Amino acid sequence: MDLALDAQQRTFISVAEVWVPSGDKLVLESGNYGGLNAFAAASGKESFAMGEGLPGKAWAEARPVVLKEFDGSYFKRTEAAKAVGLTAAVAIPVFAGDDLKAVLVVICSDDDERIGAIEVWKEKDDLLMLDDGYYGAAKHFEWVSQHTHFPRGQGLPGGVLAADTPMLMRDLGSGYKFIRSESAGKAGLTTGLGLPVPVPGDDDFVLTLLSARGTPIARRFEIWDARAAKVGKAGGAVLIDGICAREGALWDEDKTRRVSAWQGLIGRVLGTGIPVVESGNVPGLAGYDSLVALPIHSDNELSHVVAWYC
Amino acid sequence: MKKLVVIGAGMASGRVLEHLFEADPAAYDVTLFNAEPRGNYNRIMLSPVLSGEKSFEEIVTHDDDWYAQNNVTCRFGEAVTGIDRDRKVVIGANGEVEYDKLVIATGSAPFIIPVPGKDLPGVVAFRDLDDVDKMKEAAGGRGRAVVIGGGLLGLEAAAALRLQGMDVTVLHLMGHLMERQLDESAGFLLRRDLENRGIEVKCQASTAEILGTDKVEGVKLTDDTVIPADLVVMAVGIRPETTIAKAAGVEVGRGIQVDAQMLTSDPDILSVGECVEFNGQLFGLVAPLYDQAKVVAATLTEYKTEFVPKELSTKLKVTGCDLFSAGDFADGEGREDIVFRDPARGIYKRLVIEDNKVIGAVFYGDTADSNWFFGLIKDGTDISEMRETLIFGPGFQGGATADPMAAVAALPLDAEICGCNGVSKGQIVEAIQGGATDLAAIKAVTKASASCGTCTGLVEQVLGVTLGDDFVIPAAQSMCGCTDLTHEEVRRLIKSQELKSMAAVHQELGWKTSCGCHVCRPALNFYLLADWPVEYQDDPQSRFINERKHANIQKDGTYSVVPRMWGGMTTPDELRAIADAAEKYNVPTVHVTGGQRIDLLGVKGEDLPDIWADLNKAGMVSGHAYAKGLRTVKTCVGKDHCRFGTQDSTGLGIKLEKKLWGSWSPHKVKLAVSGCPRNCAEATCKDIGVVCVDSGYQIGVGGAAGMDVKETERLADVASEQEAIDLATAFMQLYRENAKYLDRPYKWIAKVGLDWVKERIVDDLDERRALIERFELSQSIYQKDPWAEHVAEIADTYKPLADFQLEAAE
Amino acid sequence: MSTVANDWVDVGSLDAIPQRGARVVKTPLGCVAVFRTHEDRVFALDNACPHKKGPLAEGIVHGNSVTCPLHNWVFDLETGQAQGADQGQVATYPARVDDGRIWLEASFLQLRAAE
Repeated sequence: MDLALDAQQRTFISVAEVWVPSGDKLVLESGNYGGLNAFAAASGKESFAMGEGLPGKAWAEARPVVLKEFDGSYFKRTEAAKAVGLTAAVAIPVFAGDDLKAVLVVICSDDDERIGAIEVWKEKDDLLMLDDGYYGAAKHFEWVSQHTHFPRGQGLPGGVLAADTPMLMRDLGSGYKFIRSESAGKAGLTTGLGLPVPVPGDDDFVLTLLSARGTPIARRFEIWDARAAKVGKAGGAVLIDGICAREGALWDEDKTRRVSAWQGLIGRVLGTGIPVVESGNVPGLAGYDSLVALPIHSDNELSHVVAWYC
Repeated sequence: MKKLVVIGAGMASGRVLEHLFEADPAAYDVTLFNAEPRGNYNRIMLSPVLSGEKSFEEIVTHDDDWYAQNNVTCRFGEAVTGIDRDRKVVIGANGEVEYDKLVIATGSAPFIIPVPGKDLPGVVAFRDLDDVDKMKEAAGGRGRAVVIGGGLLGLEAAAALRLQGMDVTVLHLMGHLMERQLDESAGFLLRRDLENRGIEVKCQASTAEILGTDKVEGVKLTDDTVIPADLVVMAVGIRPETTIAKAAGVEVGRGIQVDAQMLTSDPDILSVGECVEFNGQLFGLVAPLYDQAKVVAATLTEYKTEFVPKELSTKLKVTGCDLFSAGDFADGEGREDIVFRDPARGIYKRLVIEDNKVIGAVFYGDTADSNWFFGLIKDGTDISEMRETLIFGPGFQGGATADPMAAVAALPLDAEICGCNGVSKGQIVEAIQGGATDLAAIKAVTKASASCGTCTGLVEQVLGVTLGDDFVIPAAQSMCGCTDLTHEEVRRLIKSQELKSMAAVHQELGWKTSCGCHVCRPALNFYLLADWPVEYQDDPQSRFINERKHANIQKDGTYSVVPRMWGGMTTPDELRAIADAAEKYNVPTVHVTGGQRIDLLGVKGEDLPDIWADLNKAGMVSGHAYAKGLRTVKTCVGKDHCRFGTQDSTGLGIKLEKKLWGSWSPHKVKLAVSGCPRNCAEATCKDIGVVCVDSGYQIGVGGAAGMDVKETERLADVASEQEAIDLATAFMQLYRENAKYLDRPYKWIAKVGLDWVKERIVDDLDERRALIERFELSQSIYQKDPWAEHVAEIADTYKPLADFQLEAAE
Repeated sequence: MSTVANDWVDVGSLDAIPQRGARVVKTPLGCVAVFRTHEDRVFALDNACPHKKGPLAEGIVHGNSVTCPLHNWVFDLETGQAQGADQGQVATYPARVDDGRIWLEASFLQLRAAE
């Protein structure tokens, strides 16, 4: 029982926070600090100008940014982070056309056991190459990934790029079904979520989150399709794929789950167009402790919402 | 127990068993054979399993537990070698099983094109999980795959193999992909989409030979092109698997022949699924198989029903490819196309119309309204009226609808939701977080919506905003087909958004029709004139004929005319005028009504203005016997004549009628004043009833003596006649401002509660005064005799537009 | 009869019928209801619902439909066909507007001998 509880508490991502533009600064909109109160307090006092700190860098450079070493970096909250054992972070900008809607920052604690992957892939000459990634203790898988590239349509990143939609892959380690499967299997990776990260300019970025059994990124993933071409003029979004450790498959061909704007947490993302991070005693968490829901804006509309629950 | 044997554990027979156990779990002892070493799974989801986007566990529909719970004897992985119909046994590899009824559900076999090399290792079909495993073995996630067949199945396999990291080429015999489901334009967009995924597509490619020595090495086409391959997937088509049925002597054409009860030529043998032939038709999509399964279960439980093939639709399971196809879209005589293209977004939509009906639809890139269009095809809906905007789908009419959820989400936590009990949004959210997750619980915990109930919709929306799709907002009865809003919501929005014309309501609330219908128009007309008496112009064309012509239409198309008799009092002059009119206009029936007045029945429509003019001359006005408004005030003769009378009941009745007449209300309103508790005027079953007592007046409301019979509830006891009139007036206005159209006062009171009414008009004197003022403002416009008005202004409209009776006779 | 098919007969001015309203034209064979829609289109139909002979001219006009005042049957003004679950049809006669006048094809005076 102790073991199970312990496993529950150890997730790959320790902190998730949403920064939104206010004037010429980014200010904290919401966050889940998982009990790291000192760091939460430090973050609440912070704000970032364009180019300043990690969120400011993702804004200024208009791309997802991975930061694996705080010491001596541009990370502004290094002291507070080190004090609570946070060691690496990824910032994902949410753009709608040329406008920055928000920056989602996830922060991880490094130790010898936490395994997972947050990867940023960048397209170059029709191939996706690893831009950067954070893998925790999955060092071999990190090396394999650095030496893998994906043509359009191939693998999770190539599939996301070609289909221009978020995708979920199951059973990453169980054989042929995942290109890096051998190494992934050894690392215990199970489920992969891939999503396009639209930014101003011509660059194409794909973000992948690979979740491992022991220290999962999430125990429940959802992909919601909000394109008018899918849901019609009524708006809202339909759940097109999802997997839950508790409920199993969340997709149902015969009975589509649907939310309208403002209906629940996903509805809040649809309504505001910015990510939602929630935790604690909040209805709509499907029995989990926390939620991160991230909108994707492409072709002048909020096209998808991806959500993961811990 | 009777014995049922089922051969084949596929999606069709799986549904048969579900329906059978639901109808009668004890009807049969079931044995299920399956050649595959596993039970039933969702075969149409195999391609996402191949691509890695789903796991096999997710697509299992019946697991071991399910079969165990339903006492199904499973013989999986065991081939059936024969059926002995004389002895009624099925012969399996491991022994025989007797049957009373047998269901053959052997499905289909892939069609393998008969070319040299077709049996080489590395050549696989795509029908079941074993094929998926074979592809995995042959390919190992690397190398080159050739898919023969550019139909649904072939393209799903191609996209899945590509996602797994193979280089994929699709060979298709025809000129464009999926030619049976798509036209050329949609086929082109699909091809472009697949090529964008790195899949090579060759159309009009005919396979001559599969090359290789001990395993596949390539595919040679008839034009001698050679494509190297480590894996060849045959996906050119399927044929019904009928081997066992044929051997048993059951009648087989292209498939196993069945009738509408799914019975084969042997009355104890049924068949279902891709192996059957019905009326010369074969079935490869899942929807008709599910329909067949229902019929099989019914036939097995001796309930007679019929299988009727329906229109089919197709979707492709390739993530990011949105296509939809249904019906018949071939060009033809008398057929027309409606086409919409948006090249920038890769959208193509085509509808095929014949005889004002949609008979086919092909969509690529935008499938949002596909179900709606599929419904039009299935129902054969006449689309002539919406033809011009048809292609834009059902949401086109009326523009964007207001989203009530957005407004609720935007409310701050301290915003008041329930005015009656002063409950804020924050209190409701707190209650939800505390576990009150439905309306009843919210009512119990916070008292929100526990009084008048008009905030029920708001509370439900707060539940929806807070709980997401875990809370299903009950589908409230919408006003009519023109809107999804309820009467209550429309009334609230008319007030809050200050909508002062019918056009404004239609526009701002997103009416789906151009000018409403016979259900919503009279209601809106009333709401608007009640809420905005000065600003809104009454619309006669939105009133029922009785209110438009100020007379009650009878079943033969004639009308009845009832002049007002104030408080039931009349005079010899009035009676003489009524008698004269009855004679002059050949009125066949004269009747004394229950409301103490005289009804002239059988007046012709065109005579109405003349008879009204005659009655007006004698000083009489319309009795509004046809109106959703004040009808009569019935009285007894009171203390002037009656030895028991306590007050001047007749006088009060006349005063009440003079105050209230001419006002429109949600439904008819009847009053009575009785001079003593003996209640000769039957005041205790009226909408408003006054009973006089020594100490003053007892005012009751909400009585009824129609379909429902109900005694009034006591609103208040008052000492003075003026207070009685004030209360009646304020009650009338409160009812006018708040009730749903066509709710009599007793129904409205049942919804809002008598306490809520009392708080406003008995306890709160300011509110009472304000209500009376608003009523008087309305009366300044609406209290007038419609008869005199029509006689003076529009008498002509009661006549025919033209009369050709004489001309034609000449 | 003296009238010839395709003769058109002037039955009155468009202004004499309110929008979303109707008036009747009397003939020896019964009344014809002339409707004017919200978009100023005119239609002519027999003024008798096939259900219980309800006077359609007194119904509520919405879109290109009219609802019978007696039992709420809805008819398509263009085809005379009953809508929804109800089965039935009302005879229709060609009608047009010319220079503010309503013209009916003369057939309305002769074709209803079956009544």
